[in-house]
Amino acid sequence: MKNAIGLILNIGCEDPSLKEFLQHRSLSTLPFGGRYRLIDFTLSNMVNSGLSRIGVIGSNKYNSLVDHLGTGKEWSLSRKTQDLSILAGANSGRLGHKMKVNLKDLQNNRDFLETASGEHVIISPPNHITSFDYRNAYEIHSQNNSDVTLIYKKDDSTYHLHDDDIYLDLYNKRVSSIYYKKEQQTNYFFTEMLIIKKSILLQFLDLCECTGDWDLMDMVAINLDTLRVFSAEHTGYLKRIKTLENYMKASMDLLEYDIMQELFLEKASIHTKIKDNHPSIYLDSSSVSHSIVGSGCNIDGTIFHSIIFRDIIMGSDSQIKNSIIMQKCKIGNHVTLDYVVMDKDTKISDYTTLIGKPHDPIIIKKGTVI
Amino acid sequence: MNTECVAMLLAGGQGSRLGDLTINNAKPAVLFGGKYRIIDFPLSNCMNSDIDVVGVLTQYRPYILNNYIGDGSAWALDQIQGGAHILPPYMGQKGGKWYSGTADAIYQNIDFIENFNPEFVLVLSGDHIYKMDYSKMLCFHKAKQADLSIAVMDVPWEDAHRFGIVNTDEEERIQAFQEKPAIPKSNKASMGIYVFSWEILKKALQEDAGNRESEHDFGNDVIPMLYKSNKRIYAYPYSGYWRDVGTIQSYFDANMDLLDPYCEFDLTDRNFRIFSNNISRHPQFIGPEAKISNSLICDGCIICGQVEHSILSHDIRIHRHTILKNVIVHTGAIIEDGAILENCILGGRAKIKSDVRFIADELESVPQIHVINS
Repeated sequence: MKNAIGLILNIGCEDPSLKEFLQHRSLSTLPFGGRYRLIDFTLSNMVNSGLSRIGVIGSNKYNSLVDHLGTGKEWSLSRKTQDLSILAGANSGRLGHKMKVNLKDLQNNRDFLETASGEHVIISPPNHITSFDYRNAYEIHSQNNSDVTLIYKKDDSTYHLHDDDIYLDLYNKRVSSIYYKKEQQTNYFFTEMLIIKKSILLQFLDLCECTGDWDLMDMVAINLDTLRVFSAEHTGYLKRIKTLENYMKASMDLLEYDIMQELFLEKASIHTKIKDNHPSIYLDSSSVSHSIVGSGCNIDGTIFHSIIFRDIIMGSDSQIKNSIIMQKCKIGNHVTLDYVVMDKDTKISDYTTLIGKPHDPIIIKKGTVI
Repeated sequence: MNTECVAMLLAGGQGSRLGDLTINNAKPAVLFGGKYRIIDFPLSNCMNSDIDVVGVLTQYRPYILNNYIGDGSAWALDQIQGGAHILPPYMGQKGGKWYSGTADAIYQNIDFIENFNPEFVLVLSGDHIYKMDYSKMLCFHKAKQADLSIAVMDVPWEDAHRFGIVNTDEEERIQAFQEKPAIPKSNKASMGIYVFSWEILKKALQEDAGNRESEHDFGNDVIPMLYKSNKRIYAYPYSGYWRDVGTIQSYFDANMDLLDPYCEFDLTDRNFRIFSNNISRHPQFIGPEAKISNSLICDGCIICGQVEHSILSHDIRIHRHTILKNVIVHTGAIIEDGAILENCILGGRAKIKSDVRFIADELESVPQIHVINS
């Protein structure tokens, strides 16, 4: 993996259901799973796979990204031999949001690509919840001397597919066609993770400089006959967060032991920004079951089937069910919450009852006091 | 380089009274309160007191301790000048020797201290649980124009015979010392925290090093010597939570204090935070059948049983149908289905097999179940 560079894209989110959460942050820094941000999964996977040079393209909401990643120390990326670069994305407007890999973003960071040593670039979006080792895919890429290797997943009908998903036809591991609409016979969909030879990528960037906005995937599709495009399968758990529904589902998936085990215990760990919190305190009358709890909490009351982030203070005689409570929230006494998603730094006063619906949870915006 | 005050943290002790907890591990590196190690308390105090040069004197089983301190960045001690320095015994041209006492450990590192050209040296020990702003003690020391200031606190009269007791005049100047007296004259106990004026300390250490009858200990040799030579020794009065965790019982009790909501020692106070060299672990997974109350729990735990009035470090697996009550569990322990534990301390990576029942009425009768060496 010494010969590869990691590149994490910034992708926009058009879906209105996540709008409240993305006013102050990019999709990549959406809090997830009790202590993480979405980008932690992709970034940790890259680090755990042995990548030592990783670039992260930011959006116009830089603050949360820069604040979260810092120097990259928590991901061991602040060493003389390993580094993290936070890169500026292109301002691509609405059109750019629909692209898988906007070449304009890469064009903007041509210097980074040219100067970072490594002949291959591993590209991934920041919104994947998965524990994935890129080394297998990289091996397939090297063995076949391929120009591009697309990482795909078999559609097993339980999968939540999106309208803009791309599908592949495969012939002996080689990608024979790329579809933008699902057709009957295709059951491989593209995970939006890929490996590409740097020289090919730079050629595409040259082309794009002359001809305007391009999606890398269009370039690959058009040149499929002349390029060596191979495929590598992603077999484990993967959720892509694009809508509130995805977010709720993936969050609650963590309460399933097998999924939690695959994400956090089986392979190398997922890293995130470390806080100097005290261990979580469960007070005398607390009763917590089937939940994920972060550190630094002070819990009195009943919690069931919920995701509790770090630094939560919860009063007595309160009940939280089926909810996601992000960091630094304060919940008063005698509060009842069911199907509620609280963004960080929100406060709920005593004797408040909020009950949402399974497919329509109540969302409380960052900084709100109720 | 000039630094006003250098802290020297005595962390070489074995802590033999902690028994199996210190088989592989120096006492200052023993886990406390779930995620912390005992040394976090003095190091965090230094950080909260703006003391940024800390020499950590290590000797007994230093690996975990050295590894834990690292570059000191966990306590913001990773600055370019100063920072945390681990100081083990070393060889010189005339050979080398182990640190033979607390004073000898500092004596052997006179060169280190001289590097920083300090006015004052703060001597700390790595075996107490407390929060203290040392800068206030330093102000006291300067205001009294003292040669040596000793932090003291009032202890219950019935316990006074277990401590080094000092008598003071109205000016807080120390008039008499009694080491573990049968009949104490006061209840002001020394906390083992000293501020010395460096010139005075240096001379005293050099003199003590030449004294063949000395055991090179601060409490027994150096301080009595300074007292006899009529140096200005003052008692800095401290009030607040302070516990020596030198025995299994006191270690257990101090841990359990953290579960008492009325205890004055507050880990959650953001204005005086205890920092530690955090490890990154997944959040706690609390299973559908779990029941937790009155406990402290760290990241990386998977809990499917009943936990009551207990302290759990990182990465602990508690299987179903288990009951834990008044238990301290160290990192990585596994408690299998149906086990019942009460009043005990589980060492790191201990494994309790299915359906084992372990209920000790009094901690002393069976202090620990098991310590598996990591």
